[in-house]
Amino acid sequence: MRFRPLYLLTYFLLAFSVTLGFTAAARAQAAQQQAAAKPASPSASSSAPAPAPKRDLSGVWQLEGDIGAAPIAPDKDIPPMTPWAKARFDAEKPGYGARGAAGGNDPILQCDPIGFPRIMMMPTPQEFVQAPGRVLQFWEREHEWRPIWTDGRALPEDPDPTWYGYAVGHWEGDYTLVVESTGFNDTTWLSPTGYPHSDQMRITERYTRVDHDTIAYDLTITDPMAYTKPIVTPHRIMKLRPGVEIPESPCVWSQENEFTQRIRNPATPKPAK
Amino acid sequence: MCATDAKGSRGAGFSLWGFVLARTKTRRLKPAPLRLRLAQLLILSFAIVPAYAQQTTPKTAPSLAPKRDLSGLWHYEGTGASEPIAPDNLIPPMTPWAQARFDVERPGYGPRPAPGGNDPILQCDPMGFPRIMFLNTPFEFVKAPGRVIQFFEHEHEYRSIWTDGRSLPADPDPTWYGYAIGHWEGEDTLVVESTGFVDSTWLGSTGYPHSEAMRVTERYHRADHETILYDITITDPKAYTQLIVGPHRIMRLRPHDVMVEEICVPSEEKSFANRIAKPATPKSTR
Repeated sequence: MRFRPLYLLTYFLLAFSVTLGFTAAARAQAAQQQAAAKPASPSASSSAPAPAPKRDLSGVWQLEGDIGAAPIAPDKDIPPMTPWAKARFDAEKPGYGARGAAGGNDPILQCDPIGFPRIMMMPTPQEFVQAPGRVLQFWEREHEWRPIWTDGRALPEDPDPTWYGYAVGHWEGDYTLVVESTGFNDTTWLSPTGYPHSDQMRITERYTRVDHDTIAYDLTITDPMAYTKPIVTPHRIMKLRPGVEIPESPCVWSQENEFTQRIRNPATPKPAK
Repeated sequence: MCATDAKGSRGAGFSLWGFVLARTKTRRLKPAPLRLRLAQLLILSFAIVPAYAQQTTPKTAPSLAPKRDLSGLWHYEGTGASEPIAPDNLIPPMTPWAQARFDVERPGYGPRPAPGGNDPILQCDPMGFPRIMFLNTPFEFVKAPGRVIQFFEHEHEYRSIWTDGRSLPADPDPTWYGYAIGHWEGEDTLVVESTGFVDSTWLGSTGYPHSEAMRVTERYHRADHETILYDITITDPKAYTQLIVGPHRIMRLRPHDVMVEEICVPSEEKSFANRIAKPATPKSTR
């Protein structure tokens, strides 16, 4: 159990407080509460999260922290682009980041699919459902989903490129689902700040259920046609959201277009070049 | 129409096919009267039982339906799809509210087609439920704890049919695919009740509005391993003076098919509308 040292410390403080008197005991109690509150979700108030169930990611999850329009990785962690990717990058006019501009050409402005893996970085909930031979992953954003095949099949040799790719998964031990995916079309961006990818992109993800309420998430992108090295994204934490149901929020072009004209364009700053 | 790649001509092909069918009145589905439906069932059961008794013809006899299980990929038989929700003559009289909406609809199909119409799906607004049920593309049921998930190839959409005993929400936020609960009647019929729909979708490619008060009842009766008999009824007193009872439809299991990712992509849809759909749509016959 990951947080055992904190427990030991708490127990030690509690025992020590008996000799030190009431004030020390109160302090220890505060320490105990702090130790318990740190790893737990807001709903679980008084105890550390339960241990993770084995080979099971079922539930609604949400990325932790303020990651509203976070790029897939900080600019400095994006490896050098190939000339092919650089030409695409230069033609991109994103709405966010250092090159943010009104009236940009981000594909999602007209409700073209956000695609994978960009959808993973959204601050909206996602859900895993276990079904025979597959784990289903649902995203609130765009009301999208993909099957992660866990029936032992291999990735297809020559997949038809799609927006959400073709994914297979296997368990490493009892707590880590490793997902390999391929077969992406090359029209989506990796981030709201831009960054292209090719249809050669392959993705490896690791969903490690650290405890009942926590998934540690790692994503690596290998795309030699676009980047000279793999893109290793920062370690992210997802928290279980018990009681949350994923609402239906499809991208509706008629609404999206109105939003762009009324809010997005006026609010986007001029490029900071 | 939402073909996702150059090879995926199925989407565009379907559009034209649907158009041809819509113009061919003889292919229209007619609802089977109850007596006829019973007769069909009777004949079906006569057909199945002896086939089972004779083990010499196992290939032609569908095996028995699994209990309380619709898992698998399904597709309408014949032209059950690419049809309006019900033939025009079975749409009950509209209320003035619905008639006003109907009059401003300019569908691309049916007896009043118009180029450059205002069918919401032309700009990839969601097709919505139940219109998505009447497409010539497959859908899939997946069983999961507490629900049956229904995936539609078209629009890469899905909905959860909650089977954990909950009731329909009293005042749901309206959505494109609604809120659905299901229960089993006997061992082979899933009855699905749904509500909470936005009123901006049409009931079919030939038009017909509905209101947010719409309630939908569906019966998925697994007649045998390979067959679902499908019935749909729409109750919407704000829009129609009587129930809309959809014609009896048959779905077949497609065990070797896989669903492809067929998302409606506005940039592709716009180009399709300008290049193909508009030139192909005849002038209105009115």
